[in-house]
Amino acid sequence: MITNKKYLVGVFDDEHTLKDAFQKALDKGVVIEEVYTPYPIHEILHGMKYKTHISHAAFFFGLFGVTAIIGGMYYAAVIDWPLLFGGKPFNTFPSFIVVSIVATILTITILTLLTFSIRSKIYPGKTADIIDIRATDDKFIILLDQDKMGIEIPAVTQLFQSNGASEVYQKESTSN
Amino acid sequence: MYKTDVRGKLIDGEKSLSQISQEILAPIDAKTPRWWYIAMGISLVMLVLGVKSIYITLTEGIGTWGVNSTVAWGWEIINFVWWIGIGHAGTAFSIFLLILRQKWRTAINRAAEAMTVVAVFCAALFPLMHMGRPWLFFYIFPYPNTRGPLWVNFNSPLFWDFMAISAYLLISASFWYFGMVPDFATIRDTTKSKIKKAVYGFFAFGWTGSSREWLRYEGLAFVLGGIAAVLVVSVHSIVSTDFAVSVEPGWHTTLFPPYFVVGAIFSGFAMVLTLVTLMKKLYKMGDFITENHVDAVCRILVFISLIMGTAYITEIFIAWYSGSEYEMYTFFKNRITGEYAMQFWGMFIFNALLPQLFWSRKVRRNLWVVFAISLFINLGMWFERFNIVVTSLSKNYLPASWAEYHPTWVEIGFFVGTLGMFAAGVLLFFRYIPQIAISEVKMISKYNTQQTDHLKPGHHHDYE
Repeated sequence: MITNKKYLVGVFDDEHTLKDAFQKALDKGVVIEEVYTPYPIHEILHGMKYKTHISHAAFFFGLFGVTAIIGGMYYAAVIDWPLLFGGKPFNTFPSFIVVSIVATILTITILTLLTFSIRSKIYPGKTADIIDIRATDDKFIILLDQDKMGIEIPAVTQLFQSNGASEVYQKESTSN
Repeated sequence: MYKTDVRGKLIDGEKSLSQISQEILAPIDAKTPRWWYIAMGISLVMLVLGVKSIYITLTEGIGTWGVNSTVAWGWEIINFVWWIGIGHAGTAFSIFLLILRQKWRTAINRAAEAMTVVAVFCAALFPLMHMGRPWLFFYIFPYPNTRGPLWVNFNSPLFWDFMAISAYLLISASFWYFGMVPDFATIRDTTKSKIKKAVYGFFAFGWTGSSREWLRYEGLAFVLGGIAAVLVVSVHSIVSTDFAVSVEPGWHTTLFPPYFVVGAIFSGFAMVLTLVTLMKKLYKMGDFITENHVDAVCRILVFISLIMGTAYITEIFIAWYSGSEYEMYTFFKNRITGEYAMQFWGMFIFNALLPQLFWSRKVRRNLWVVFAISLFINLGMWFERFNIVVTSLSKNYLPASWAEYHPTWVEIGFFVGTLGMFAAGVLLFFRYIPQIAISEVKMISKYNTQQTDHLKPGHHHDYE
């Protein structure tokens, strides 16, 4: 569904003013849609209250990987095609360990990368939804959705500007 | 925390964030310098020699090499281990230093990772060609095949090696690539050229720098970093097991896995040092790769060099202490003295003694000396592998089957070809990819000035 969304964009020149304004806006109960920064800032990531379970996902991928790999080797060496090496057991478990570790790591990597790509919607050739093109260079952007921000435009403009915003402007988007 | 007042600045000059982008991206936007074409030309000539050698190996067989039934492993395994070792630095830089929160890694990790990917490619070529019939290489994959449901030997370190190297290549390449995504977005958003915008835009995967993206990105970096650290240790341990499981004097030792892993990181760091010296001089990246960075790498090299020296001496001591006359013969008659003494002493001097010069601050701060020593370490590490592979094999238990090994020009050409491939890969990296991780350098730029934030009550360190 394509709707016209109206945004308010606050532009900051450095991390410190961004963090101050961000915290003050949160304290006033302003609903912040998104923050765009040239590098990760942990206060912002905490403040946005998003959670990622990517490490939990990775753990379960690992569990799946290690079971599949040890199971596969057991099947090949014991059930499907047992080979007799002078009375040694078919299930030579200790020598399966190395392959299990390495192949589990590979499984975790591939599946975690895929999860990251799907959850963050990051994939080759995707057109970026750029709000302010300077956000990957040297500006720090706070984006507010005018319908949901819970504060009037002049008030928030005033809040941003008194906390060091270099620009505050309105923007309309036609995407989603 | 990195203490700027103690260890020096990480970025020279007071740079704004946009200056950081501009200066790191300058080589991509600038006209390609003439030396680049010359260097690329030389690399390609070397590569052609390598391709010709591979062609001869493929069409005529392994008989064109100098290996024989006694010395069955020659330059190919030496070069394989050498390249894999060099390939260890990327992951060591990105991951160990990431886990240890070393801020100085940010200026160097990209180059180290790029080097890793190219080096592992070079390494993989050698065992592939050594198979004799490389077109049947897919036999190593564990699949129920048409020759009856016969599986690969899961007990063989050679199979482990195949798994480890494939995994290592894939993981280092993806780690490298995902690190570049935010930087590609920076190029997309700052370039004026439409072609660059389209090309780098494609590779930027639609990155915008939103907090949601950064959150997952950091999560991903830590997951990959955490598990790849295990891989760094396992890959070269497995390579060493290829040797250590055999009953060959000089190889049959439990010292091998740690000795190989440390040696790999040693040679990798030396190669990184070679590269960053070139980046500093040829691309004027001196503001980002400061003397303090070079200093930090040199300090690590001193430490690792001591471990290497200890390993060499331990090997010799154990050969004597074991009382095994074969071990004694290998070490005392065929390494320290004898026809391969030059390679042994080359190894010992370049790896264990020469880097001790880095104890001196003056040496660490003299870029040309550092550059020269880094090259000698690479040479020394090559000698180490020669020493291990050839001396042990050439004189085995049966004097009647003793043999000498001399490489043929096909083998030398093959090695020169991989050197050319490596150089060409690195040159392409210099030219088309941000040499330094822009977003990471921006992140540390705030540590450049005296920080007072940590004195405020309730302040949480974001680097802890």
